[in-house]
Amino acid sequence: MHELSLAMEICRIAEAHVGPEGLPWLLEVGVEVGVDGSVEPDSLEFCLEALLSRPPFGRARPVLDARVGGELRVTYLEIDDDRPTH
Amino acid sequence: MTVRRIEVRERVMERNDALAGDVRRRLGEHDVVALNLVSSPGAGKTLLLERTLRDLGTEVRMAVVTGDVQTQNDADRLARWTDRVVHAVVTGGACHLDARQVGAALDDLDLDTIDLLFVENVGNLVCPASWDVGESAKVVVFSVTEGEDKPLKYPKMFQVAKFAVLNKVDLLPHVPFDVDKALEYAHRVNPDLRFVQTSASTGEGLDDWYGLLRSLVNAGALVR
Repeated sequence: MHELSLAMEICRIAEAHVGPEGLPWLLEVGVEVGVDGSVEPDSLEFCLEALLSRPPFGRARPVLDARVGGELRVTYLEIDDDRPTH
Repeated sequence: MTVRRIEVRERVMERNDALAGDVRRRLGEHDVVALNLVSSPGAGKTLLLERTLRDLGTEVRMAVVTGDVQTQNDADRLARWTDRVVHAVVTGGACHLDARQVGAALDDLDLDTIDLLFVENVGNLVCPASWDVGESAKVVVFSVTEGEDKPLKYPKMFQVAKFAVLNKVDLLPHVPFDVDKALEYAHRVNPDLRFVQTSASTGEGLDDWYGLLRSLVNAGALVR
């Protein structure tokens, strides 16, 4: 449940950067996971996969990077820029 | 397909920590000391608070925000002992309280009439350690019916706490719990952790707990 809360916050950060209209076009969500941060990477990845594979997301996948320390960060987003524009 | 990379570098806890800062500022403006009580389920947080409200209620102006996954049973128990607001947060599955929930609870409280705010967190020794709710200090409660190695198994919680309550000491004759080892383990992960030993059932050690609370309220400053 802890990791699910964190995964939901990661999705909120992604939306803040690309807007709701960009979420279906996200391809990757890069996350840095500090190994001392009491976050289980496998569990976080599982939760992110579950959230990112359903609307309003569509085809994004999480890319987790274990690091020294305790910080948990969203490091980058990759988006398909060929999406239709209005 | 044209792929564009957006550099983010944003801490996942950033928004929660900002909201926790707002909570801390609001409490500080009204000289309210806030203690975030954390423990595993069944360590005795609610009974400890019931006794505290009963015994200190005429001396210290207290209010409580309780968090439970389901039910507001704890809030109902506590409300029997105080006319002040007991605010229940039902997390609906979440394993901890966050700063947004505590900030919303403050809206129901008249902070000018409160000296000491307890946040009774969800029973869980993992997740609440990571979530700052704007408290002055975390108080970790654990009991002699748990293993004395709890501080080693859940080091982050004991590291981020300023105070520890070892509860249910009346049961020591009946359980194989080594108090000295428990203290040693706790101080191994946090040498500055200040301990109080209590039995909320029999009242043993509660004077020490109340003394700690009085000192924090009298200090009138954030201790975090």
